[in-house]
Amino acid sequence: MSSNYERTAGSRKRLDAWGIAGWVFLLLLLVFTVVPLAWMLSTALKTQLGALQFPPRWIPTNPTTENFRMLLDPNDDIGRRFLRYMLNSLWVSTATTVVGVLVAVPAAYAFSRFRFPGRNSLFYGVLLRNMFPAVIFLIPLFILMRNLRLVNSYGSLIITYLTFGLPLSIWLLKGFYDNIPVQLEQAARIDGASRFQAFIRIVMPLSAPGIVATAIYSFILAWNEYVYALTFITDDRKLTVPVGLQRFFSEYVANWPGLMAAAFLMSIPVVVMFLVLQKYFVRALTEGAIKQ
Amino acid sequence: MGRVILDNVVKRYRDVVAVDHVSLTVEEGEFVALVGPSGCGKTTTLNLIAGLLELSEGNIYIGERLVNDLDPKDRDIAMVFQNYALYPNKTVYKNLAFPLQMRKTPKDQIDQRVRETARLLSIEPLLERRPKELSGGQQQRVALGRALVRNPQVFLMDEPLSNLDAKLRVQMRAELKRFHQDINATIVYVTHDQLEAVTMADKMAVMSGGLLQQYDAPDIVYNQPVNTFVAGFVGSPAMNLLSATVEVDGDTTWLRNGNDWASALDAKRGAIAQSASTDAVIAGLRHNAIHLSPTETPGAIPVRIYTVEPTGDLTFVHGYLGDLLIVASVPPGTQMHPDDIVWATFDLDQMHLFDGVTQMALASEA
Amino acid sequence: MSAITGSQPTTEPPAPEERGPGLAGRIAALPGDIARHWSDYLYILPALGIMLVVIAYPIFYTVRLSFYSTPANLAMDDKIWIGLDNYRRILTSDSFRSVTRNTLEWTVFSTFFAYVIGLGAALVIQREFPGRSIVRGVLLIPWVISYVSAAYIWKWLYHSDYGLINDTLIRLNIVDQNINILDNIHRALPALIIANIWKEFPFAMIMLLAGLQGVPDQLHRAAKVDGAGTWARFWHITMPQLKSVSVVTILLLMLTNLNSFTLVWVMTGGGPAGSTDIWITQIYQLAFGRTRFGVASAYSVILFLIMMALGYFYVKALTRGDAEREGA
Ligand SMILES: Nc1ncnc2c1ncn2[C@@H]1O[C@H](COP(=O)(O)OP(=O)(O)OP(=O)(O)O)[C@@H](O)[C@H]1O
Ligand SMILES: [Mg+2]
Repeated sequence: MSSNYERTAGSRKRLDAWGIAGWVFLLLLLVFTVVPLAWMLSTALKTQLGALQFPPRWIPTNPTTENFRMLLDPNDDIGRRFLRYMLNSLWVSTATTVVGVLVAVPAAYAFSRFRFPGRNSLFYGVLLRNMFPAVIFLIPLFILMRNLRLVNSYGSLIITYLTFGLPLSIWLLKGFYDNIPVQLEQAARIDGASRFQAFIRIVMPLSAPGIVATAIYSFILAWNEYVYALTFITDDRKLTVPVGLQRFFSEYVANWPGLMAAAFLMSIPVVVMFLVLQKYFVRALTEGAIKQ
Repeated sequence: MGRVILDNVVKRYRDVVAVDHVSLTVEEGEFVALVGPSGCGKTTTLNLIAGLLELSEGNIYIGERLVNDLDPKDRDIAMVFQNYALYPNKTVYKNLAFPLQMRKTPKDQIDQRVRETARLLSIEPLLERRPKELSGGQQQRVALGRALVRNPQVFLMDEPLSNLDAKLRVQMRAELKRFHQDINATIVYVTHDQLEAVTMADKMAVMSGGLLQQYDAPDIVYNQPVNTFVAGFVGSPAMNLLSATVEVDGDTTWLRNGNDWASALDAKRGAIAQSASTDAVIAGLRHNAIHLSPTETPGAIPVRIYTVEPTGDLTFVHGYLGDLLIVASVPPGTQMHPDDIVWATFDLDQMHLFDGVTQMALASEA
Repeated sequence: MSAITGSQPTTEPPAPEERGPGLAGRIAALPGDIARHWSDYLYILPALGIMLVVIAYPIFYTVRLSFYSTPANLAMDDKIWIGLDNYRRILTSDSFRSVTRNTLEWTVFSTFFAYVIGLGAALVIQREFPGRSIVRGVLLIPWVISYVSAAYIWKWLYHSDYGLINDTLIRLNIVDQNINILDNIHRALPALIIANIWKEFPFAMIMLLAGLQGVPDQLHRAAKVDGAGTWARFWHITMPQLKSVSVVTILLLMLTNLNSFTLVWVMTGGGPAGSTDIWITQIYQLAFGRTRFGVASAYSVILFLIMMALGYFYVKALTRGDAEREGA
């Protein structure tokens, strides 16, 4: 992450018009980004009545953590449901991520290293998935899942989410493998490693940022997915959070603080995960996807 | 240590034959340099020996074993790669330890071998660094160390010095040679720098277009090139190759190139020249076999100077003989200037003769 | 950059024996070639298997279904062949025109602003300053959180009676009393687009940021020495280097937007009066609201064809680097 031409001598001290414009822009952008998020949190700390005030207040008059307590209390009816949705989401997302990595890694490696007939067409074929609208697959997959009696099963979601994540994962990882010199593997094999060992001990560690990035990507995708979960899952006990959130609060239409608290809670896992691992993500994009 | 035998080795890619029926034997303890222009199949040959590529045809033996179907790890070889191929995420220590780990060497032995090797190559202070924190020369030593840390039958090296600056290259050249002598290793060494080959190798294998052209000691390759390719490739500056026709005039045999020049041959060379398949021959003259003199002498050939390159020990003079650019050397300090006309005579004792059609050397000049 | 250069690109080069480069020869040797590489296919088999089940079959099925009239109870055995009637009905309906216009507005504006803001953000963020990675992290949050959360946050911000936006507009004296935003047929779509830009610009930012890090320092130094100012350097060095990343980013944004269902569905459900209905919500309503799967399928096929055209450019942009490297 080092390279940065702005660091060259001189340019840093002299704040030119472009520099100032840049800072102003950044400030406005931060406001644009942060205000809705802050508003979510502020509302989540209000009572139902406190939220329904005009003009609205940034600092709640009677701040309360009641909304969070309600959602996280397993003895509360609402809390029990919300926690179940969270667990469902966690399970679906984790399974999607693990299977996704296990499937994407060998495929990307093969696309990068081997020269088998049909390699290019197959690679493009995989990439093509990204451009089909989700809804195109929704109808036939819904019918397929119905026929396979997979409606209301996590399997239906996991297999579907896999296809969302795989194209980008394979593409990203292939970029990584392309950038790892073949000579490293050759050296390892001469040093006494089998092909598999060379892959595990030399290539894998070098592509770790790519794998981490792909894993985050798959996880977030699965965690946040809405349409398929909405269509495939009708059993309330099996809902994932995004749909659960909606179903659940359509029963309590006006409970904005509760809704905001739930939105906040469901965002925490992915936001934290992403912020902690964001440097891998940027690196993966830089090294894997964006080649000059 | 073991010997390496290549027996009619062929490697084909989709539509090129990268290695074409190459046969050669590297004896135990020999240092063999594989030279040739870019794309001639050197790396491919080395990778075939290493087992990184599959043979299309032929056999390869290492020691007494036929290794055609053996994995690289089972061939008991070590390799130094052109770009070093150091494991970037491992420290120098771990890079050196890796081959031993893979062979399940006990930990204390690994430590001992790694430190010994590091001492040998004076890289002890670098053991905890990572490859990208090393200079080119240091990386090169680590790469060498990774090969040395084991005791393989054969060392394979693919242009290991090509990324170094000139001074370091000379120094490493000496170190490598010393290393070869010390442990009496069998080494196959790929380079396109023939000076490296000449200075270090016991034998030199010259390749071109996938074919093995000549395989012999460097001085033999230099002094008795088997064909015009080897003649033109080995030695710097390259040998002057002058095409000519053989003309017999009574007792004397002449070499003539149109109206540009003619040179009378002695009896022995005359006979050799006449043995060519047609009257077309090529005369090969190294820079030191062409004498230039500012004054005209009988039988001398006019050369118009193009440029003069003083190098210290020798001054190279490039000039037009007819419309062929040739190079000759003169003692330093000789006064010659571009566009001067000077007079060239050929040193017949050092003249190589090649068949104009087959390009092969005619007879032997020994 | 690329460490894999010319002479040794593969560990496993193809080795078809004795044959010229001719096409006929290639085809003749294909079975042998495939046999020689059979183990390579094992690596991609799982990926391909999953993709096939979840893609190839559905496409086939959708196309087939688009020629049928399907019963509302989803008893698919009772469907009736009606040829191109579904297509005719869609293409001649009034709603198709308005939905298409909405879709275009939605896609074009969202993509354009997300890209431009993302580019600006990337340029500022790549400067070295204290707290840079925190700022970057904060800017990325909208992209990471779910569309459902984003939809509810914005729906609440736009609330006609208690919304923060109304409050702000009044404070700034832009309006003098609360206005309807999501309930107004003129304001709903722009409001959705703003929320969508908020959600998407970080994606453009992170892609372009990655692209900027590939721009060699040297070029900028050289340009500075040559006397190029900030603007000139941006225009002559940064932008050309970002070209391929930009193409991929813009295409991905367009595809995402054409596919974007959740934000619209949760915030307005396509209303009011169809003013925010886009292709995708329309299809969903046809299929799962009115259980007219045949018509919905035909709609999908139309959308699919449009996507194919876009996708062609997408794959081309993605693979251009590869093709150049391999020359094949
Ligand atoms: N994977 C491959 N597929 C097709 N052709 C190849 C492949 N690898 C090498 N070749 C071709 O085989 C020939 C020999 O290549 P090789 O790498 O052995 O050359 P080299 O002598 O090592 O050259 P250099 O000095 O440039 O390293 C070249 O013509 C090259 O283009
Ligand atoms: Mg080579």
